[in-house]
Amino acid sequence: MIFTDYLFYLFSGILVLASLRVITANNPVYSALSLVLAFFSAAGIWLLLHAEFLAIALVLVYVGAVMVLFLFVVMMLDINIEALRQRFWSYFPVALLIALLFIFEIYLVVTDKFFSSSDPAGIPLEKSNTHSIGSVLYTDYLLPFQVAAVILLVAIISAIVLTMYGKKSHKAIDPKDQIKVNRNDRVRVVKMKSEKKK
Amino acid sequence: MQDFFSQFFSPELALTLSYLFKIILIVVPVMISVAYLTYFERRVIGFMQSRIGPNRVGYFGLLQPIADALKLMFKEIVLPSKSNNFLFFLAPLLSIAPALAAWAVIPFNYEMVLADINAGLLYVLAMTSIAVYGVIIAGWASNSKYAFLGSLRSAAQIVSYEIAMGFTLVGVLMCANSLNLGDIVIAQEGGISQWYCWPLFPLFVIYFISAVAETNRAPFDVAEGESEIVAGFHVEYSGMAFALFFLAEYANMILVSILAVIMFLGGWLSPVSFIPDGIFWLIIKVAFVLFCFLWLRATFPRYRYDQIMRLGWKVFIPLTLVWIIFVGAMMQTSYAGYFH
Amino acid sequence: MLDSYFPVLLFILVGLGVGIGPLVLGKILAPHKPNDQKNSPYECGFEAFEDARMKFDVRYYLVAILFILFDLEITFLFPWAVVLDSLGLQGFIVMMIFLGILVVGFIYEWKKGALDWE
Repeated sequence: MIFTDYLFYLFSGILVLASLRVITANNPVYSALSLVLAFFSAAGIWLLLHAEFLAIALVLVYVGAVMVLFLFVVMMLDINIEALRQRFWSYFPVALLIALLFIFEIYLVVTDKFFSSSDPAGIPLEKSNTHSIGSVLYTDYLLPFQVAAVILLVAIISAIVLTMYGKKSHKAIDPKDQIKVNRNDRVRVVKMKSEKKK
Repeated sequence: MQDFFSQFFSPELALTLSYLFKIILIVVPVMISVAYLTYFERRVIGFMQSRIGPNRVGYFGLLQPIADALKLMFKEIVLPSKSNNFLFFLAPLLSIAPALAAWAVIPFNYEMVLADINAGLLYVLAMTSIAVYGVIIAGWASNSKYAFLGSLRSAAQIVSYEIAMGFTLVGVLMCANSLNLGDIVIAQEGGISQWYCWPLFPLFVIYFISAVAETNRAPFDVAEGESEIVAGFHVEYSGMAFALFFLAEYANMILVSILAVIMFLGGWLSPVSFIPDGIFWLIIKVAFVLFCFLWLRATFPRYRYDQIMRLGWKVFIPLTLVWIIFVGAMMQTSYAGYFH
Repeated sequence: MLDSYFPVLLFILVGLGVGIGPLVLGKILAPHKPNDQKNSPYECGFEAFEDARMKFDVRYYLVAILFILFDLEITFLFPWAVVLDSLGLQGFIVMMIFLGILVVGFIYEWKKGALDWE
């Protein structure tokens, strides 16, 4: 067994343990941090497969961006863990369905029955991994690339629609509105007779 | 070095030991620079404000950083009663480890780089993006209002400026056609006129300002804002735990400065042909960029938070995008030579 | 290729070591005399009357979401910038379409006031 094999078992061991911690930890913050560790070990495994661009992009995007959002949400929303736990079994069928769907998709990808991928070895290895990705992504995979742009656009719009729904965009007072204020809008002078003591 | 160790150990162990030796050769000077950057900062800002700055410990106060380090070492690490102990100690680790690990791929001269990896720039960007975890976890684990406020502000600010920073790096990549930091420097060979700070001047300025914001330095230091939220995310930290945050902040400062020099100011290359290239050029340039950091701090008042966010999102991102498109378009014309 | 990543792995371990070392040193050398007042969270002199971990303005989440999307955009730009020379005009146009679609999103968030802070 050579050194990289040891590294592979080390990374996969950490990956499995960290993934288990994600679903078993009581504190959601620990779950999120275990997921960070899981991504790191996955990046290590990808690196062992010589996919350096993807490995570092995994750290950059998932650890550096996605998990930051997860932590924001987990830390700053009061999640009542007890209430969630009581409803575990009512969510269970849905979760099971999604899990089975996932396993089915993984099966499709791994067995190569549905996604007939072209042989990656057929792509000539250039100066670096990044060059190789660049030389096919913007030419051979043009359509998926533009679809990615559209998906990102949909994500931007839906994020804004969901978070800013029915809300004034900001609380600051517009100086224009302040100047336009008319005395008559604010003050009403009422004429009435002076009351006399009886 | 490997030959020396292989006299005593097996080849694998000798290789590992020689790497460890080189890592120490990088980490120790970085740590010493960090210590003396704090001294330099206090002296420079002192002179800019017609004060003297520390001058009591040793000649010209040169032993001041060592005295500070010793003082912090003998200070109690106070553990707040409501804090989460494990995460409380994990946070300073998560801020110092990436700040140092990013140095693995920094080239100091021709052939003088520890890990000559192809995706060097991407690696540095990934490591700097991890630094935000130290801030978020510190704020949450302390369970103190001020720490929490500071960490939120800081995290949102860091991520906002990371985008602007990423876009400026894209501009550099378009010119250099490589993610390897050494290749980026070598692509700028041929005197001061070939440095990327000229064709990419707007990106250079944006990179520098984003770097200041990214490291939470004045005038973008609302995350610390000692007059509003009393030091922000590390308000509950003391002793060596605080020292680690302090070290990480200054190590990050030096890191972003050295990156600015590598990407825009020609790294170790000499500006004129009659003086040879060498690591001393790198040190001089980095010292100059760091001086600009201190100069900014002594000159400008603190930005307001909404101004910071507006600058990042509404000024820098559109500007960098426009310049990337401009450079890309110019590369399709006969003027492409100016951008390589 | 993997050879050049070995020192990176070592460096990350050394970085963690540099963090753990001072913490342990501080624990050993420094005094440890806890008391209630000292260990209470900093609160300008009075008792903390609620948990510090509170709900926050949704704007912070929005910034985090937008950050993810733009970060992805940057990762798509990186390989493009590296190979732009060999792709030529066609590669440039492809990326302009990509950026054009995303600029629509950027203008939308600008107009909706998602980037306004006060």
